[in-house]
Parts: sequence; structure tokens; C-alpha cells
Amino acid sequence: MSAQNEILDPKDLKDLEAQLAAYAQRKHLSPATSDRWQAWQAGDRAALLTCAEELQLGENQLKDFLDWLEEIALRDETAIQAVLGQREIRTALTTRRSRNDKLKAVKTALRKMRYPRLTQLEASARAAVKALDLGRSVQILFPPAFEGDEITVTFHARNTQELQERLSRLQQRVDDGSFQRMFDVLDEV
Amino acid sequence: MMYQPTEILIERGEEKTPVVQRALAKLAHVPVRIVEKDWERAGVQAESKDAFGAGKRQLFFTRQRSRFLEHCPAGTPGLVCCNYLVVSLISNCPMDCSYCFLQEYLANNPVLKVFTNVDDMLAEIAKVVDRQPWRQFRIGTGELSDSLALDHLLGFCSDLVPFFASRNNVLLELKTKSDCIDNLLSLDSQGRVVVSWTLTPAVIADAEEHGTASFTDRLRAAQRVQNAGYKVGFHFDPLIEYPEWETGYQQTLEQVFTTIDPRRVAWVSLGSLRLTPTLRKIMRQRFPRTRLLSGEQVLCADGKWRTFQALRVKMYRTLTAWLNELAPQVPVYMCMETAPVWQKVFGRSPMCDKDVARSLTAPNLGQQIAAP
Repeated sequence: MSAQNEILDPKDLKDLEAQLAAYAQRKHLSPATSDRWQAWQAGDRAALLTCAEELQLGENQLKDFLDWLEEIALRDETAIQAVLGQREIRTALTTRRSRNDKLKAVKTALRKMRYPRLTQLEASARAAVKALDLGRSVQILFPPAFEGDEITVTFHARNTQELQERLSRLQQRVDDGSFQRMFDVLDEV
Repeated sequence: MMYQPTEILIERGEEKTPVVQRALAKLAHVPVRIVEKDWERAGVQAESKDAFGAGKRQLFFTRQRSRFLEHCPAGTPGLVCCNYLVVSLISNCPMDCSYCFLQEYLANNPVLKVFTNVDDMLAEIAKVVDRQPWRQFRIGTGELSDSLALDHLLGFCSDLVPFFASRNNVLLELKTKSDCIDNLLSLDSQGRVVVSWTLTPAVIADAEEHGTASFTDRLRAAQRVQNAGYKVGFHFDPLIEYPEWETGYQQTLEQVFTTIDPRRVAWVSLGSLRLTPTLRKIMRQRFPRTRLLSGEQVLCADGKWRTFQALRVKMYRTLTAWLNELAPQVPVYMCMETAPVWQKVFGRSPMCDKDVARSLTAPNLGQQIAAP
């Protein structure tokens, strides 16, 4: 996947292959996943190995990483090691936190690079809901993957008084036009 | 690039059929084998690493033993459909577009098959359309193959065009990415045949549509066909989202409508790139350098990955706005889209599938073509 062919010391290359094979064995990677990774340029392989070791990626997580990294590299005409070397990924990888939190942070950063406009839309939707200030007892859900034109509003209430209070707050947002933003956000790109 | 098979296989008993004779006359240098009808099931091509690609290079003439006429499979529940019918005289395509659904659909029988019993197909169509003279039909041959890419070898146009020219309640659509139009030029379709081209910006066509005619050649072919009296159509399907899509599609549309007379364009369709998870996997294997998997696609309710809705609606709106400027009289429709997307793009959603079909089968279409 690297833009340029690399010249690696044969011994280093052999070491890398051995390390990767050992990782694949340890994590019970399928031959397809392992072969796909092995087919990358040495520098790309090594960069992902460092990341995989740090995050202890298993088969499914690794497949997501392979997909996203290949897709970003092709789209941006860059090397996978350059993608993994970006500041957002490095920060997520090196900040001290639990492995799960680190994995979440790296995946979030990588997904943002892979889906820049979709993640922007998700952020806008979250911000729009927050700005409505309806409280935790009124939930607003956008359609899955933002496909469709329906928004689901869920109320939680323990009595009619609470329900009345939530309804009137919602009515106010509809009347002053601020709720329209929920529908507008669906077309925002 | 003209298709050349590595081997011709003929089902025993079909050697003398007109289509076989026509092909053999053009491919005299290609080795020929006579095989039994179930030859393909022996899995001859299976040993190849790329069985699908290898299948394209074997040309197998055989009889179609099941129905020819089918509803277009795009009519999926939850999506607006245009009531299109398809017939397949050929199964698999000599071209090799990276995004082609046939890679998955024909994965188990990829040999390029040509059906020899054309008369049976025409009889089947006649039975359906002649029984309902009040109904307007649209029938296409471009579902399981390119309609024209092999016509220089097979000459199917000379069977199809006169048949459709003699009926006024059915339109034939020949859908292609080729420039193999010579056989059409001398035929009088009586306005009952629309020749349509699938178009993408040249940069995408060059990178992803392997073995097809270039954008320029397709456009030149469309112009020649239009000059010969046919109405033409254009399909921006798949619509590809890539970093420079706006410039790419704007230039493409401008080039189309500076070359083609919009008054004699039957329709334009738009359809987002849609890929099943299996097709994505196949594309990754067969075309590891494709950039089409790098778009911002999401998994939709019908199990296909598409560019996420807000972005594809923006693309549809942008293209329809340009089309309104360049060719305001041309009907534009979308393929395999939901009612909410129709609403967002056109400000209306068809009441039923027949609404879309009706707008594409104007009864005076033939007259319009006859008197340009």
C-alpha cells in the first residue's frame, strides 16, 4: 500500500515477518486476514504491528483497521504508515489510559479520518440535540446511519405532570423554530 | 477495445443457429469446441484464481431453457421502482467494471453465455405485450450484460430492432458502455428503441470501467445514433462520490449536452453506487487499487452500502439542477432510491411505481422521434 517501494534490510524484513506471524498465531488470526496484512509494504506492516500490539487487536478489530487504513491510504494517495503516523492517532495511542479506552480513542480518530463528513454530521446532530436543552427525559433519535427522514422522540415520565412539563417544553421548541434544526441536520453536508 | 474470447464453446445442436454462424464468421481464428448442454456445471473454469475474469474469456453458445422476460431486480421493497422489464440474451459481460454486481450475481456461473434461441425470446415478449395493447412497456437487455458490446460479433440488433419497431406499446432500451453501434445505424426503429449510455466522469471511467469505450467514444457513438434517428438516454448510475465529483460531473454533463440534442433524449437516470458486503469483498480481491470503497458509505436497510443519505441527496440535487439548466425537458428519475430521497430531491415522491413508468413511456415518443 505504500506509495514508494521500500528498501529494508533482509534481516529486518525477516524479523518483521516473524513478529507478524507470531502475532497472528497468538491472536488466532484467519489466514485471509493474516495474508492481507502480510501483502502490505514492510513499513506499513510494521506500523500496524506496533499499533496492534499496543491495542491487542483481535481478528474483527483488525479487519476494521485493515479496511479503513487501506481505504484512507487509497483515497489520500498516501502510505498506511503515514496514516498511522498522524497526530490524532499517535496522541490516541500514546495517552495513558486503559487498553479499552485507548482502543476506543484510536478507532474514533481513525473513523473520523475515514468518514470525515459523516462524523461531522454526527457531531452536528449531537450538538443540535444538546442545544435544544430538553433534558435527559426526552430522547431524540435520528434514523440509523441518518438514512430516512424520520426523527424519533421518546419521553420518559413518571406522572402526568412530568409528561405535561416535557410536552410543553418540546412544544415551545417547535413554536420558536429551534426544533426544525433536527430535520435540517439530516440534509447537512 | 474489441472483445476477443480465448475459446468458443457451442452446445451440441446449436451449431447452425444464425447467431452462432454470425459469430463464427467474425471469430474464425478462435478455437471452437462442441460441448454438452450441462458443460458449464462441470466447473471447467473453477481452477482459475479469478474464475469470474476467466469466465468472461470463454464464449459459450447455448439455449436458454428458462424464462427470458423478468421484472428488473431493482424493484426491491421500500424503494421506488420504475416498472422496468429485462430480457437477457447474454449472461455476463465482456467488460469488467470494478463495481459490477455481476461479480457477485454470476460468481457461480461466470462463463460468458450467449443464448441462441432468439426467436423464443421474441415470442415470449410478443405474448406479453400483445395481450395488453393498452399498456406501455419498457424492456431492456442491459441487465446481465452490456446490450451492444458484442453486437459486432452477434448481430442481435438486427433481430431486436425490427421486432420492437413493429409494436407501439413497447420501448426497447439498449444500455451500453461501448461504441458498438454500427449495426444500428441502418435499422429503422420507428422510435421504439432507445439507446442509452452509462456515463461517469472520464477519470472514473478510465480507472474503474475496464474494457469499456472511453467517455469521448461513448459520446461520439451517442451522437451518431441520435443522428441516425434514435432517441438516446443517459444513466449516471452508479453516481460516484470522489473528491472532485462536482467538477467531474459538471464537465461531463456539459460535454454531453453540447454534443447531444436534449430534445431527443428519452431519459436520464441517477443512482448512487450501491454495493453489497459480498461485492465489497470481491472488489477488494479483484481490484485492490479501486478507490470506490473509500467513499463515505453506510449500510442501508436493503443490505447495500451507499454514500450516506445527506451526501447523496446533495449529489442528486446538484446534478438535477444542472440537468434542469442544460436539458429542462428531459425526464429524470432515480434508480433504487427510497421515497424520502425522492421527496428531498424532486420535492415529490411517486404515488406508485406506475407513476415513474408512465412518465418514461410517453405514448407519442415514437412520433417525436419520427419528426425531429
